[in-house]
Amino acid sequence: MPPFIVHFAHYHEDFRLAELDALSLLENIQISYDRSKYSPDSPIFLIDIENSEQAEKLVRRAILIRSISEYWGSGHSYDDLFTEVKKRPERWDAYKQCSFKFTVDSFGKSLTQEQKIEIIERFSFLGFMGPIRMKNAEQEFFVFEDYGESDKPVPNQQARMIWFGRVIGRGSRDLVDRFDVKKRTYLGNTTMDAELSLLMANQALARPGSLVYDPFVGTGSFLLTCSHFGACSVGSDIDGRQIRGTAGFRRNVDGIRANLAQYNLGSRVLDTAVFDICRNPWRPGALFDAIVTDPPYGVRAGAKRLGRRNGTVPENSFRIVDGVTNYKRSDYYPPTVPYEMSDVISDLMEFAAEKLVVGGRLVYWLPTVAEEYDPRDVPVHPVLKLVANSEQPFGGWSRRLITMEKIDRFRGDANGDELSRCGSGDSHHDPAHKNFRDRYFSKFEPIDNEAAQTG
Amino acid sequence: MRIITHNMLKCHVKNCTDPNKQFPLRFKDVQLEQVEAERNDEFLVRMLPRLDWPALLKTSKELGMGLPESIPENPGEDEEFLQAVHTFIMETHVKEGSMVCDGCAHEYKISNGIPNMLLAEHEI
Repeated sequence: MPPFIVHFAHYHEDFRLAELDALSLLENIQISYDRSKYSPDSPIFLIDIENSEQAEKLVRRAILIRSISEYWGSGHSYDDLFTEVKKRPERWDAYKQCSFKFTVDSFGKSLTQEQKIEIIERFSFLGFMGPIRMKNAEQEFFVFEDYGESDKPVPNQQARMIWFGRVIGRGSRDLVDRFDVKKRTYLGNTTMDAELSLLMANQALARPGSLVYDPFVGTGSFLLTCSHFGACSVGSDIDGRQIRGTAGFRRNVDGIRANLAQYNLGSRVLDTAVFDICRNPWRPGALFDAIVTDPPYGVRAGAKRLGRRNGTVPENSFRIVDGVTNYKRSDYYPPTVPYEMSDVISDLMEFAAEKLVVGGRLVYWLPTVAEEYDPRDVPVHPVLKLVANSEQPFGGWSRRLITMEKIDRFRGDANGDELSRCGSGDSHHDPAHKNFRDRYFSKFEPIDNEAAQTG
Repeated sequence: MRIITHNMLKCHVKNCTDPNKQFPLRFKDVQLEQVEAERNDEFLVRMLPRLDWPALLKTSKELGMGLPESIPENPGEDEEFLQAVHTFIMETHVKEGSMVCDGCAHEYKISNGIPNMLLAEHEI
């Protein structure tokens, strides 16, 4: 299969290959690449694809890919590059008469307009006679100088590598701007940024025909991005104020529904309901193609679940208030107890194992303590296979986007056999997200295990 | 709330465990609205095996809306069938009202199209 040049956006470097793999599955396009050649400090990566139609299709909904080009050559200098390009002059013929343009881009050093023009002129040996059009050119050629990452510009430094190719297709980075949270009619204080919300939709393989669910829906970011890509979606939250828009930054705009109108997604975002995922009313069986969620860490928005502290008698619901039994009043709100992060995660895994169809995906954020991270911190489950684990670092802690695929049918709570094996990979190992909120507020000072258990 | 969502929700009150009574929830005093939506055949066909058809049929009769008695052999090619399913599960919205469990009589309120499925303190 011929090589193509992937030009990544230089953001979220740990997420880029995971997205590429997801796109390959989503669009059903076979790709091959050498993982050992991937470098997080270069925006360029070579992959092999059957043909250019497939290359174009592969990247069309990519968030972390700017463009993909048919590979024509590369080298440490322009002489090396031209030697390679000149090996295949027959390839130039098809573009001799059409309108075209050259795009010169660089990484690690910025080029002046004059330098760019000089570079373009060096390609005159290709003999393209057609008109040069900056807009709507029939063909676009891509020159990329990679100087590597550097804090200050170094004028005479050699490029690490120069790449040249014919642009075949572009990703969907314009969506990052379109779904920018600042532009949304409705948002809350834990609304996920647009780029990551869109990326999650790709990890979830959200597409026409699939049903996606977010059990901690908040202000509904993931419903928007998954449904943008054609999936139908539903969400729930224990806090109905977020859904209805009676809390948050922009109140009284009709909540999530306001955003559906703004993005014209009302026919695909099916419903949002108020309930606690710990006590959920979904009927038994596999219902969803993907579960996409940002579980509450309890840092900014304290995580809650329905419950009574230490088994107190539920007398409050039967109290008579204004002549009506309390729990039947329209403003009745049941009591809640704190919901510990490690419980949230293990409940989520159990839920996904039962409610996903085989082949369906669970995509969620897992906070980890940077210093102490151990791969065992990522929970495992007999029917959920880890597909990707991408880290977004924040100094003392990180959050990881975990993608899992349901690989087998869930035999339910038959004899507890599967339940006992889920959770952390090692039953003696306390995952780093345990007591995450306390760790966060103590600035991730090392604590001994015993204190963590009682704390 | 759309009917497709209703078809996936059951009563989840503690000790209310009779599967024949906790699902489907019975609509009470509902205010319906038809909102036109683009038909998505791919989604409908993929969802058919996940729907509880007898429950859907029961609900359609309760609301006085038409639905074929059973799923035809090639639902993806049955124009009339797809349209009927689409109209009922995707375009029919419950704006106000409630859903009642035949087992424990819990009433789940729906207001402004959003169902409140939270349980009371004594139900968890």
